[in-house]
Amino acid sequence: MRWRPILLAPLLAALLTLLWAAQPASAHEVRPAFLEIDQTGPAAYSVTWKQPTMGDVGIHLVPHLSNGWLERPPSDQYAAAGFLIKTWKIAGAGPAPLDGQTVRIEGLEDTITDVFVRLNLSNSQKLDTVIRPEAPSLKIGFVDGSAMSAAGFVLLGIQHILTGPDHLLFVLGLLLLVRDRWMLLKTVSAFTLAHSLTLAAASFGLISLPLPLLNALIALSILFLAPEILRAQQGGTSLTIRQPWIVAFAFGLLHGMGFASGLTSLGLTGTALLTPLVLFNVGVEIGQLAFIALVLGMRRSFRLMAIGWPKPVALGPTYAIGILGAMWAFQYGVLLFGPGA
Amino acid sequence: MSRTRLHPAALLALTISAALPAPALAHIVNGEAVGFVSGFLHPVSGWDHIIAMVAVGLWGAQLGRPAIWVLPVTFPLVMSVGGFLGLIGLRVPGGEIAIALSGLCLGAAVALSWRPPLAIAAVLVGLFGLFHGYAHGVELPPGQNALLYSLGFVLATGMLHATGVAIGLVHRWPWGRWALRAAGVAIGCGGAVFLWSALA
Amino acid sequence: MRRRFTATAMAIAALLAPGLAQAHLVVTGMGPIYDGVTHFALSPEDSLPVVALAFYAGLRGPGSSRLLLAVLPSAWFVGGLLACLSGVALPPTALPLATAVVFLAMGGLLASDLTLSTPYHAVAAIAVGLVRGAADLGGAPAEAGSLLDLAGMCVAAFALFALAVSVTLPLKRFWMIVAARVAGSWVAAAGLLLAGWILRFGAKVQ
Repeated sequence: MRWRPILLAPLLAALLTLLWAAQPASAHEVRPAFLEIDQTGPAAYSVTWKQPTMGDVGIHLVPHLSNGWLERPPSDQYAAAGFLIKTWKIAGAGPAPLDGQTVRIEGLEDTITDVFVRLNLSNSQKLDTVIRPEAPSLKIGFVDGSAMSAAGFVLLGIQHILTGPDHLLFVLGLLLLVRDRWMLLKTVSAFTLAHSLTLAAASFGLISLPLPLLNALIALSILFLAPEILRAQQGGTSLTIRQPWIVAFAFGLLHGMGFASGLTSLGLTGTALLTPLVLFNVGVEIGQLAFIALVLGMRRSFRLMAIGWPKPVALGPTYAIGILGAMWAFQYGVLLFGPGA
Repeated sequence: MSRTRLHPAALLALTISAALPAPALAHIVNGEAVGFVSGFLHPVSGWDHIIAMVAVGLWGAQLGRPAIWVLPVTFPLVMSVGGFLGLIGLRVPGGEIAIALSGLCLGAAVALSWRPPLAIAAVLVGLFGLFHGYAHGVELPPGQNALLYSLGFVLATGMLHATGVAIGLVHRWPWGRWALRAAGVAIGCGGAVFLWSALA
Repeated sequence: MRRRFTATAMAIAALLAPGLAQAHLVVTGMGPIYDGVTHFALSPEDSLPVVALAFYAGLRGPGSSRLLLAVLPSAWFVGGLLACLSGVALPPTALPLATAVVFLAMGGLLASDLTLSTPYHAVAAIAVGLVRGAADLGGAPAEAGSLLDLAGMCVAAFALFALAVSVTLPLKRFWMIVAARVAGSWVAAAGLLLAGWILRFGAKVQ
């Protein structure tokens, strides 16, 4: 029992770090900004920048593109409800003017705002991604999918799942719900099957959802798990607790569409997409299994050490799942239904 | 100590297989991988070292507990003390002779299935270990990642011991005891050849 | 025994093979916390003493393991914080030499399987954490990114310690305990060679 307060020290330290790190965030704007670049002709592009405003005050966010396009005065600029919108029309661009360029959002690191970046090129290459305050710049890498090695696709899959806290939190939630090995196997298999199906369908363009809506739904799927875990821990029961694989399958369908955004930037279509898709999926499964192994390994270790966590700490993961799920759901919900939507 | 002098020895074919990868890899692998690889290859690049390390494992297996675990735990440490002394510039004459002698003595001990008290065996093996480590220590090249080099080096040595101990497990069968003693004879002969070339 | 040897060898090889430990600031493109985790995972300077200490704690029992699980990452954090905020430049050989001593001490502790009272275990963990935390964050700018980096390293130290403890904690069979001690002897030997190297070739290591 003596060690318990000591055990809390690193947690407290971690919390203080995060608070300290987040402290310069003066603008508590949760609505995201958008940067969309479309190719409108062989050498013509249009860039749209849409950022949230609070009252008359624009939050200090300035997009930069390392090829200098956004340093010119915008061709059009106007304020809509709660948003400031700027557009640039670029003509006479050289070949592949965006390849290897860097997008940087000045001032983003002082906010908690996300920036959705969407690129649509005429050769069907797409980029659909989010820039976050922790890393306020993005290198546009149109990897030529046909020139990528098999290992490259697998690595892309691994990286994609390990950088997606939303997917990992959902998997963590499932692990907290599952009681025995047989159910673990069923649940993980159901999640894998479901997200593989929609990953394939979305990559071939058979189904699609707008990114904000998809993210909102994924956030809701995470939020959904938290009360169920709590109920299970308090001895209650529900369909989700008895048969977690059903939830894993149903929400796995959503998460698979999220995974697809990792592949669309490669500009592959038709049969050329088949092998990369399989390899990418293998990478996602490797990353997912590594994460599951880590969580189960930690759990085994804590059991062996006979750690009796104080109640607030034991509830920590569940509350993290709930709070983050709620925060993301709110953030994307505002985006979908709030002012300026 | 020069490696080239060992190559004409009777084990030429095997020596080539052990020595060849070293220069080839040194060119292929860039950066700090070189440190680990060259450290790993160092203990296995000379047959005088290899047979002595394997003999330590064999002897340990013959002696049984507690030698079978005292040796693998303490030997890397003793050897690194020798390496440390070599690195900081201590100069000991006759290192090469001692190493060749170690092959001969350890081989003989295995061949005769000699069972001295643990203290004597430990001192003997420790002394030889010091010289082996020392020989590696004075040869360590600068300009590599020191930690990775050391790790590779220790790992290779440990695996040579493990090989010896694993082979030595045949000790539990009667035929295995004779096979071990035969191996001891072979190692002793190898040691004698190296001793000859060291003295010549 | 050979299987454990081989397994350890493969684990170490796998640890060393991919990244080969750039001295500082691994950039994964996944944000600073992941960078810290990756840096830790790719640096045998960081991971091996933690594994050795965890193996030792596991052999001592659950009580010591629990204590060190809390103490080690905390000390790591404090060491990193001090190095980062103070900006004091140590002589260039001091930190590598301290690392060599840490290897020697942790490996020696595990190899000898020494019976010490629990406070001494904590002292060992504090020493490892302070030295390696300071080494990891030495010269890093005092800003949020560095601290998140450090937080990632502490999380990785926590996780690796927990996982490594669970390897030796349930060990009952004699030869498996010996295998763990052999691993400690290797870590100590590497530390001693490293120390000799630094004394001979000076600061150009790490």
